[in-house]
Amino acid sequence: MIPIRCFTCGKVISRGYEEYKRRRTEGEDPEQILDDLGMDRYCCRRMLLTHKEIIDEINPYQ
Amino acid sequence: MKLEFKDLLIDQTRFILSDSSPAFANSLRRAMTSEVLTFAIEDVRVYDNSSALFDEMLAHRLGLIPIVTEYAGYTPRDVCSCDGAGCSQCSVTFTMSVEGPRMVASGDLISQDPVIKPVSDDIPIVKLESGQKVVIEARAILNAGNEHVKWQPTTICGYKNYPVIRIDDNCDGCGHCVEACPKGILAVVDGTVCVKDGMDTECSLCRLCEQACLNSGIGEKPAIHIDMDPKRFLFTMESCGSLPPATIIKEGLQFLKNQSDNLLETLEDL
Ligand code: SF4
Ligand code: SF4
Ligand SMILES: [Zn+2]
Ligand SMILES: [Zn+2]
Repeated sequence: MIPIRCFTCGKVISRGYEEYKRRRTEGEDPEQILDDLGMDRYCCRRMLLTHKEIIDEINPYQ
Repeated sequence: MKLEFKDLLIDQTRFILSDSSPAFANSLRRAMTSEVLTFAIEDVRVYDNSSALFDEMLAHRLGLIPIVTEYAGYTPRDVCSCDGAGCSQCSVTFTMSVEGPRMVASGDLISQDPVIKPVSDDIPIVKLESGQKVVIEARAILNAGNEHVKWQPTTICGYKNYPVIRIDDNCDGCGHCVEACPKGILAVVDGTVCVKDGMDTECSLCRLCEQACLNSGIGEKPAIHIDMDPKRFLFTMESCGSLPPATIIKEGLQFLKNQSDNLLETLEDL
């Protein structure tokens, strides 16, 4: 799961992840999406940029 | 001492503290980050959890959700009359019962007090597949950021000395410093360089302009000088949503006042 907050500054970044993922699969530029989501610090931006979601991969093995 | 607000938004503020000292500015910063009380989830009772996350992970994620804080009617648990057992004076109980398939979000937390609730309803907690279930009871208490960051009301909270930009008469308006400034706050007007209106607060004190001026071959000393005002501080503070920025400043100052009052009392008792 996407971390609730940015590791560095503590801003809640998880709220924007669904929108980020959706617009990213539609092929939009991540820079634009992150700007729209109001993530102006690079600590918060890397949280979404570098996240790898694995919950769907581990869910079948519950 | 003077406070002057440059902007005061719902979750962010920039203000200037003047006629002060570095020691006071830093005390205020530390008081705001780690001494202002907020609510955060501390105890979680897990009745059922068949999600992919361990109970501990779930509790950790719940703890990090910022919660709208209102002090009226609540006391911190360690000074409460219940002696730390947890009662309605010192804690707020949340219940959550969700069955998959769907995303469990902060909006699924049902609070016993309609005022004390998560700052937004769409913070994802865990994704459930069909057949998976999460049933929990959580208790939020008041505490401060020096105990754990989840009680910290601010995200970024910092300050810099107020920049003072001086330009000497021997400036020939060559514009080298204008190009060098990463913040774009300088401009050449009438053969001499000047700071754009109201942009002096943006200066990051990087001194690249001084360097560029020296490199332009002006002589031993640059024609532009960057100094810091030792008595003025430019604060930038962002709230995580639990308290409005103005309340954080007020509570931080109140904490400093109480601390010095306590010190005075102790000294008088000696
Ligand atoms: S110190 Fe840096 S930011 Fe400030 S005016 Fe000079 S180049 Fe610009
Ligand atoms: S580089 Fe020096 S001389 Fe040239 S405009 Fe800037 S301050 Fe003036
Ligand atoms: Zn951040
Ligand atoms: Zn109590």
